[in-house]
Amino acid sequence: MMVVGASIAVLVTMGMAMVRALLGPTVYDRVLAVNMFGTKTVLTIALIGFFTGRPEFLDLALAYGLLNFIGTIAVLKFFQFGSLGASGPPPGETESG
Amino acid sequence: MENVLDYLSAALLLLGSFFVVVGGIGVLRMPDVFTRMHAAGVTDTMGSFFILTGLMLQTGFDGVTLRLAMILGFLWFTSPVATHALAKAALHGKVEPIVHEDERGD
Amino acid sequence: MESVVDLALLGLLAVTAIAVVRVRNLVAVVMLMGIYSFLSAALFVVLDAVDVAFTEVAVGAGVSTILALGTVALVGTRQQRHAKSPVIPLLIVLVTGGMLVYGTYDLPRWGQADNPIHGHVAPEYLADHVPLAGQDGEALEVHIPNIVTTVLASYRGYDTLGETTVVFAAMVGVLLLFVGTGGRRGASARGAGGGDDDPDGAS
Repeated sequence: MMVVGASIAVLVTMGMAMVRALLGPTVYDRVLAVNMFGTKTVLTIALIGFFTGRPEFLDLALAYGLLNFIGTIAVLKFFQFGSLGASGPPPGETESG
Repeated sequence: MENVLDYLSAALLLLGSFFVVVGGIGVLRMPDVFTRMHAAGVTDTMGSFFILTGLMLQTGFDGVTLRLAMILGFLWFTSPVATHALAKAALHGKVEPIVHEDERGD
Repeated sequence: MESVVDLALLGLLAVTAIAVVRVRNLVAVVMLMGIYSFLSAALFVVLDAVDVAFTEVAVGAGVSTILALGTVALVGTRQQRHAKSPVIPLLIVLVTGGMLVYGTYDLPRWGQADNPIHGHVAPEYLADHVPLAGQDGEALEVHIPNIVTTVLASYRGYDTLGETTVVFAAMVGVLLLFVGTGGRRGASARGAGGGDDDPDGAS
C-alpha cells in the first residue's frame, strides 16, 4: 500500500521534472531535468517491480542508473568541448603538418 | 517482528516520497539553475536512500536486497559527480549565478 | 493500480510528444527525446518486456541522444520556419488515417485467445516453456523464467542477432561520419554549448 503511494509521489516528481525540461530557459536546466528524470525512472522501476511482485526488474534499474549517468556526462562534455572527445586532428592532417 | 519491519518500511517509504516531492517542487520554484541543481540533488540522494531502504526492509536478506544496495550505492556515488559536472559546464557556458551582494555581513 | 501507472506514463508520453513537435530549439528537442525514451522504457517494463526495455535504454537514452546532439551541432540549433502552410498535408493525413481506422473494423478483436495469429507457433512456445501443474523442470525445452525473453533470445535468437548487428553498424557508421569530417563545425556549434576550444584549426 505504501509502495503504491511512493510510486505515485515519484510519478508526480517526474511530471515536475518534465515541466522544468519544457520551461527551462537555459540548456543546463534541461540537462538537469533529464538527469533527474532518469534517476526517478530508476526509483519507479524498483517500486513497480515490487508492487507487481517481480523484483527481477532491478537489473534493468541498475542498467538505467549506469546509462543515465554516462549519458549526462557525455552530453556535458559535448557542451563544454564541442565534440564527443575525439582527440587530436583527423589522420589526413597529420601528414601535411 | 514482521509488523515492526512493515511499519518501519512504510515510514521510510513515506519519508522518501516526502523528500522526492519537496525536491521536485524545489526544481520548479527555485530562481536559478544552480539552486535547482541543489533541489534535484535532494531527490537523488535523500529520496532514493529512504525509498530504497524502505524497499530493502520488505524482503529478506537475499539477492534482491543486494541489488537494491548496489543501485543505492551507485546512485550515491554518481549523482554528486553529475551535479558537479553540470555546475562546471554551466559556469563554463557563462551562466551567471544570482548573487545577493548587499546581504553579506561586514 | 497498474492502470493508474499506465495512464500516468502514457499521459507524460503524450505531453512529451506534443512538446517535441512544438518546441523550436533543437537542443531542447533532443533533451525531450531523451525523456521520451525513458518513458517508453518504463512502459515496456510495465508491459513485462524487460529485454525490450534494456534495448530501449541503451539505444534511446544513451546513444541516440548523444548522436542527435552531434547532429544538432552540425546543422544549427534553430528549426527553420515552414515556407508553405500545412493545411493540405493535414487534410491528406486525416483522410488516410480515417481510411486506415475504418479498415481496422474488419480485424478480429485485439488480444482474444482464438485469433488466427495465436494458433500456430504460440501454443508450441507456451507448452514447451511454461511448466504445467505437476510437471518437473526436465520436461521443459527452455529454462528461462520470462516468456518474452524466451521468444526474443531463444526461439527467435537469430532475429535478435541480426537486429543487434544492424544497430551496431548504424552507430559505427554515424560515429565515422562525425570523426571523419575533421570536426568541421560552424559558428552554430559555439552557440550550442558556449565552449570555444577548437583543437582542429584547419579545414
